[in-house]
Amino acid sequence: MINNIGYVFLAAALAVSLYGVVVPHLGVVRNNWNLVRSAQFATILNLLLVLGASAVLMRGFLMDDFSIRFVWQNSSTDLPLGYKIAAFWGGMDGSLLFWELVLAGFAAVVAYSYQRSNREIIPYVIVVLNIIQVFLLFLLTTYSNPLGLQAPIPLEGRGLNPLLQHPSMAAHPPLLYLGYIGFSVPFAFAIASLIRGKLDNAWVVTTRRWTLFAWYSLIVGQMLGGQWAYEELGWGGYWGWDPVENAALMPWLTGTAFLHSIMLQEKRNMMKVWNVALIIITFSLSILGTFIVRSGVLNSVHAFARSEIGPAFLIFIALVMVASFYLMFLRIKLLESRHTAERLLSKESTFLLNNLFLVGIAFTVFLGTVFPLIAEAVRGTKLSIQAPFFNTIIGPLGVALLALLGLCTLIAWRHSNARALLRNLRLPLGVAVAAAALMALLGLRHPGALLVFSIAAFTSTVLVSDYLRSVLARARQQRQSLLSAAGDTIMRNQQRFGGLVIHLGVVFLFVGLTGNLLNSERILTLTLNQPVRVEHYTLLFKGMKEEQVRNARLRAAEIEVYRDGEFLETLRPARSFYPTQPDPLTEVAIRRTLAEDLYLVLASENAGGTVTIRARINPLVIWAWFAFPLFSVGVVAALLYRPRRLEAPETPKGLGYA
Amino acid sequence: MWKSWKFWLVMSGVVTVVGVLAYGFTVNPKFVKSPLLNGPAPNFTITRLGGGETLTLSELKGTPVLLNFWASWCLACRDEAHVLQAAHKLYEEGQGRLRVLGIAIQDTPEKSMAFARAFGKTYFLALDNVAGDISLSYGLYGVPETFFIDAQGIIRFKHVGAVTPQLVRNNLATLLAPNDEGKQ
Repeated sequence: MINNIGYVFLAAALAVSLYGVVVPHLGVVRNNWNLVRSAQFATILNLLLVLGASAVLMRGFLMDDFSIRFVWQNSSTDLPLGYKIAAFWGGMDGSLLFWELVLAGFAAVVAYSYQRSNREIIPYVIVVLNIIQVFLLFLLTTYSNPLGLQAPIPLEGRGLNPLLQHPSMAAHPPLLYLGYIGFSVPFAFAIASLIRGKLDNAWVVTTRRWTLFAWYSLIVGQMLGGQWAYEELGWGGYWGWDPVENAALMPWLTGTAFLHSIMLQEKRNMMKVWNVALIIITFSLSILGTFIVRSGVLNSVHAFARSEIGPAFLIFIALVMVASFYLMFLRIKLLESRHTAERLLSKESTFLLNNLFLVGIAFTVFLGTVFPLIAEAVRGTKLSIQAPFFNTIIGPLGVALLALLGLCTLIAWRHSNARALLRNLRLPLGVAVAAAALMALLGLRHPGALLVFSIAAFTSTVLVSDYLRSVLARARQQRQSLLSAAGDTIMRNQQRFGGLVIHLGVVFLFVGLTGNLLNSERILTLTLNQPVRVEHYTLLFKGMKEEQVRNARLRAAEIEVYRDGEFLETLRPARSFYPTQPDPLTEVAIRRTLAEDLYLVLASENAGGTVTIRARINPLVIWAWFAFPLFSVGVVAALLYRPRRLEAPETPKGLGYA
Repeated sequence: MWKSWKFWLVMSGVVTVVGVLAYGFTVNPKFVKSPLLNGPAPNFTITRLGGGETLTLSELKGTPVLLNFWASWCLACRDEAHVLQAAHKLYEEGQGRLRVLGIAIQDTPEKSMAFARAFGKTYFLALDNVAGDISLSYGLYGVPETFFIDAQGIIRFKHVGAVTPQLVRNNLATLLAPNDEGKQ
């Protein structure tokens, strides 16, 4: 009964969203603000309805109500409470409902927050956000109903995939969705501005925080996904260029390009067409991400079932892109800006270069991801694009981007003095050379790793010295103490400080990723109490131990780890047996230090009491994780910054009112 | 707008992308059929990794061959390494009834040898040339991929992805069966 009510909520929400698509437009045409106001209110009503439907589904999970097919598919009575909640987005239907729930929340916030500051375009922002909701609610009430019922009612659920029972995995999908949904806000503002022909910088300035939020959610979501793969899948890495991973990476790359190029529009009134195009592409890619994950058209190691919603998603993507680009070209005269980069050696042109690289990388990833389909369509041959393609092409592009990051920080707005630039280059270049020489002396022989580390040293020197120089200048000019100048430099320009910290995070991320060039792996058979050496570690197998952990039975190999004769700790790589799963899952054991991870996987237990393990040494993994706190601090600082609104003289009369 | 070449360029880009993705609905990415199945295995000559010994497939007629394509960068190859090594120990070294060959693709000699050492592979390993002639002639979809070739040099079965002990056992049972044509 209650479950049927949930479905009624969804159907009602669909009707309310349709209202929100049509009525704001009528309000503008008839110049009746009351109609717009009713659509504003409808966003609240819509949120309440979707919230109601979500509550019904959540109740199903908490009460083990297996009459709901989706609950039966993704939960079981023995599932720990936290994972029962996370099972909400453990499957497609529920994650679409989660998407709609967050979007409904965003729409309500947007409809009320910007009614004064963006009075002219807000009706159409509401329209665009409702169009997306109509699409999602259509899926939720037809192909992909999370509240679909079944009879007879099973006594036990099929259980959440044990691989997904991991804290990172509980947080990874919602964060990716937050990122995808976050981009729909700047997208909606861009489209609304196009519809109204009001193409000043308002939409860029207003939605800057939303873009930052979406950017941050996407990168953290991806890092958690990598963390999960590393700890749970046991192949020893965290990124494999699988289509599903690429799907999340592409909108993040174009979103990063967008975050940079909107600064050009905000500060210099440039790149207006480009920014509109970038947000259209970014939003399309975020829907494409879900399409790739759920449609099953590309071969992926991620075992998602091929679902019915693929064609519907593709039609929606096609409509979004055709309609958006049509609008963009309709208004292109208004968008063309009179400003261009004045000098080759200016921050403006480095931003162009940065955009070129980011979009180029995104395009390469896209091409590599869909190329198997192109090849099959054109030549009829099956092939797959695997890691070497991506690593050979994207690795160098990424490293070039890292170098560019340092270089760009040194170049000033408008025009930069070549001689000053050379002078400022001396210190970071010196540090880079010294770092490379030091590492070579310490025994690092891998040329690629040497190159990346020395570029990382270069870029971080630029970033840190850039900040220190501002502090010194401020202390001298304002006659302040160094400490208060250090604080003031941050508070006076939070945007710049945020950027600096995030960029430092990028350097750490690159250092961590580069560890992949240096890892090593061995397969060992361990006999009871017989030490085995793995590089500088000695492993001593002490026997098997069996225990019950939550809903799984765990068989662990107790392995003592020594280094230079000194006991470090006991690692317990294990295999866990879940009642609902036919095969055991590997539980990786990791000893993590600043320099490297010792990564043990229990491959098999053999006759005669020996065990076979895979022992990997993964250098510098934790360095990639240092990016996380830096990104967090940087994003918070950048969010504090409020750009001043630029009044645009360029909005022509007559076009504003359809 | 209708006269702008940029407009048409962007729109045709959109149509192409959507068209390619729509094409994806008509094919199953997991299904890879091979015209080579039940046909003669393409011949090749390979040189042993780290040693001068060469081998030509056609000279192995009379002995069934387990031909595995792999790479040091390939993840699934890690999962199956011990399975292939076990088949080599049991049927090749132990009984002399099978040849196990591993050909690395898109790889360097150093990396593939390091991989072989790490995973204790001792059977005949070689490297495909840079152009990938051998993998092309076998219509390789990706790595790992494993071909079961009978004593007459006919490909009887192929598997895409990591092999399991079960799969190797079952297919070798057919290949090595005493009443099989291959043992005449």
